[in-house]
Amino acid sequence: MKTPAASTIPLNRLLWTASVVVGASLPHWFELSIWIPLLLGTAIVWRLAAAVSGWRLPNRAIRMLFAFMAFTAVLMQYHTINGVTAGSALLVVMVALKFLEAHSQRDELVLMIIAYFLVFASLLYERGLWVGIYLLAFVWITTLGLLQLGRRGQLRPSWPTAKLAGRLLLQAVPLMIVLFLLFPRLPGPIWGIPGDTSSGASGLSDSMSPGDITDLGLSDEVAFRAEFYGSPPTADKLYWRGPVLSAFNGRSWTREPGMRRQVLDDIEFQGDPTEYRVMLEPHGRNWAFALDMPREWSGRRDIVMGSDYQLRVMFRDGIDTRIDYEVVSFPTYRAIEPMGPNELDRFRMLPEDSNPRTRALVASWLDDNPSDEQIIERALNVFRGEQFFYTLTPPALGRHTADEFIFETREGFCEHYASAFTIMMRAAGLPARVVTGYQGGELNGIGDYYIVRQSDAHAWTEVWFQNEGWVRVDPIVAVAPERIALGSSRASLRSETASRAGLARLAWIRNAVFAWDALNTYWNDWIIGYGPRLQRAILRSLGFERPRWPELLLATVIATACVLVGLSLYLAWGFRRKLRQDPAARWFERFDAKLARAKVASRKPSETPEAYAARAATELPESANEIGRVVGSYLKARYEPDSQRRWLRDLETLVRSFKPARQ
Amino acid sequence: MQMTGRLKLWAADWALRRQGRDQPDVTLKRRRIYILPTRFGAAFAALVFAMLLGSLNYGASLGFGLTFLLAGLMLVIMHHCHNNLLGTQVRFAGAPPVFAGQPAEFRIGLSNAASVTRYELEVAYRGQAGQPVDIEAGQSKHLTIEVPAQKRGRLPLQRFAVATRHPGNLFRAWTWIHMDAQCLVYPRPAPAGRPLPESYASEGSRMSAEHDEADFAGLRPAVRGDSLARIAWKAYARSGELLLKQFASGDLQPHMLDWDTLTDLEPEARLSQLTRWCLDMAANMRSFGLRLPGKTIPLGSGDRHLSECLRALALHEAPAT
Repeated sequence: MKTPAASTIPLNRLLWTASVVVGASLPHWFELSIWIPLLLGTAIVWRLAAAVSGWRLPNRAIRMLFAFMAFTAVLMQYHTINGVTAGSALLVVMVALKFLEAHSQRDELVLMIIAYFLVFASLLYERGLWVGIYLLAFVWITTLGLLQLGRRGQLRPSWPTAKLAGRLLLQAVPLMIVLFLLFPRLPGPIWGIPGDTSSGASGLSDSMSPGDITDLGLSDEVAFRAEFYGSPPTADKLYWRGPVLSAFNGRSWTREPGMRRQVLDDIEFQGDPTEYRVMLEPHGRNWAFALDMPREWSGRRDIVMGSDYQLRVMFRDGIDTRIDYEVVSFPTYRAIEPMGPNELDRFRMLPEDSNPRTRALVASWLDDNPSDEQIIERALNVFRGEQFFYTLTPPALGRHTADEFIFETREGFCEHYASAFTIMMRAAGLPARVVTGYQGGELNGIGDYYIVRQSDAHAWTEVWFQNEGWVRVDPIVAVAPERIALGSSRASLRSETASRAGLARLAWIRNAVFAWDALNTYWNDWIIGYGPRLQRAILRSLGFERPRWPELLLATVIATACVLVGLSLYLAWGFRRKLRQDPAARWFERFDAKLARAKVASRKPSETPEAYAARAATELPESANEIGRVVGSYLKARYEPDSQRRWLRDLETLVRSFKPARQ
Repeated sequence: MQMTGRLKLWAADWALRRQGRDQPDVTLKRRRIYILPTRFGAAFAALVFAMLLGSLNYGASLGFGLTFLLAGLMLVIMHHCHNNLLGTQVRFAGAPPVFAGQPAEFRIGLSNAASVTRYELEVAYRGQAGQPVDIEAGQSKHLTIEVPAQKRGRLPLQRFAVATRHPGNLFRAWTWIHMDAQCLVYPRPAPAGRPLPESYASEGSRMSAEHDEADFAGLRPAVRGDSLARIAWKAYARSGELLLKQFASGDLQPHMLDWDTLTDLEPEARLSQLTRWCLDMAANMRSFGLRLPGKTIPLGSGDRHLSECLRALALHEAPAT
């Protein structure tokens, strides 16, 4: 093996290779640690410098050393070479080293193959609409690169080649669509997914310590979207249930392993149902959000309801992909959960030494033997009567969070209120628990669905009554009712300084954001979310009742064959037209045939049209005039490009009407 | 490698049986154009298959999209590759005679009558593809196939392929062509030095030796087969053009070169020697004739006469003994 000579690949080919490689690795740069893109950049610059100004390239031994070092570095960093991230890190490293030693067309083509695979790898964890747009651009550029690098001769000018690449891709689209729609999709992985694709947990957590957070950052990240099939419930009914926190240690609320109990049968559903579809973003947990109170759900078989009425999806490692499901909920219900005294005591539990002042306050209410409703009313009055503020930047709280919140700071957000209220309920001996979830949502008028964001996260209280079961009480309503009424916190809370006029001026931005989100949702629904379920739905609408694997495969094969035949015919016909000689020559041939019938010997290949005409004219003196005109318009139609069409028409009428006078 | 070589040979023979021998001017029709993926094409297909498995495993919809787009692209490219060759006119445009030991150059004319450019057309001989050319709409180009000419006589171009890998080098579309294309191969000229037989030329020994400067009569462009000893190297260094020194030696006496004077040589060696003498005589503008068993060319001179003699030497059949 000799050291590659730098001059064996011309610079323009190297540049094409470099742009394809950079384009392919671009989506990975943000996922990989910084040294990997730097390595690639260095390799490219080095190789280009070698081509331009004759820098020395590393010899084989040094390249092997580089390769070994890079491989070790990847292994040490990711502890594996398996999985998407480590795999793509390795691929980028390979690309860098291969680029450095590229010295033949074969190397260029190997790099092309790796580049395609790199882009493919990025599609395994990137799903946004942007990625789709990027993908289109990349495929176009890469196809252009393929056409250029596939040549053994000089490269062609870029623009015509780019047009050719675009045409090839457009012709490939019908086949892509058919295969995309019909190719059988599997409900699960074939050999398991190396476990690094799940994004980190985001959004709600399964514990809550109100005193710890002094700045609740409201993330605009979308938690899920919900599309209602009928008219949606009013904003004050939009309570999306998440984790229920019933264990309290004096400062933090946490989840308690619930009883395995079939609770659904004991719920009394009243009033009209609300049907909707939830498109849940991956959040790393296995919670499926639904409006209180869900009765039926479909779309996934692995959704179950826990004893705390929360829906969960059976994902072993949390939900790491977009899922969607349909739910029927009843906003009016009686969640009667029959519980024994022991169980109820769990929901009355307060650590002995916690929040003494709050307990004393509540104890003072109990003297005149109030009803449960009266106790709730009094507790809410605490928040109503005194100067309580809803703020996202509350002061930190010490050991007795409820005491400090109620008697001193009086500033907090939903968690503070829910926690303090639940403590008051428990102090009064009422079984109560904290429910977290989302409240409200933003209606996207363009897509006609609700967007629920992390900033809509909420916490409220559920109190248990003997005959009513669990009843929702939201103390925030007492303090910041507009938060619930508007169904969204941002307008009222975040932009306290923003005037209404300012908001109105920004209306178009809002609309643009909505439009983008709607576009994203369609993208997610129809492209990213296209899986076995949607495929079955489409096939059913096409008339397949219960499509199974073999039928699906057969349908795929037949449809693909049809598209291929169509494509072949289209391309063959298109090319036939280009193969045919030009129309002027065709008309002249017909003229020749007419003359031949009048016994004029056909035009010899060596004979110019003029000579032929002169010969014909002498043989058919009576038609000499017409012959002259035909030849005249033929010559003009063929050789005067500006007025070709007109002369072609003349030629056509002349030849059609030409009747040689028989001798 | 040998296996695929044998397979290729078998396939080409099958194609010959199927399409028959070709006229010297042939337009490529659909039925005779074959197409297979190149090695890169096979790698590309493997890539698409790997992507398909990955998409299935990860349930990645965008992955499916890319996979199917590339699969579609490959099929579209296959058609374009085929069309790129379809309708091309192939013509044998002659092969100038050469001496044995030199490569014979068969000129193949490719014409594009379509209204679009044809890209990267190439001719291939025994698996060796030449440099590809692009042919604009309505244009023609000549490509050469070099075949080493080992033996004098008629060298036929048994079979060659016209092929293309455009676009993208994923497929190779080709057609085998069997035309009556021949190149005349003259015998390899013997090394200079052997004097003309005494009986024919009293001063023949002077022929290939040095000449007096006084005899110098001028220069003429050198042609293939001229004696190297008589190239005007100084003039070549000045002008870059190969010129041959001509001498007006008084020795313009015609010679009859005779097969029978070379009794000490094998028949092929005799032909080589006669070729050498013919070239030398022509270079000296001397008139000469050639006497071979069964054929006699009378005295004469000039290029046409030389060609006639060389042709007779090339095609000489040893009499059955």
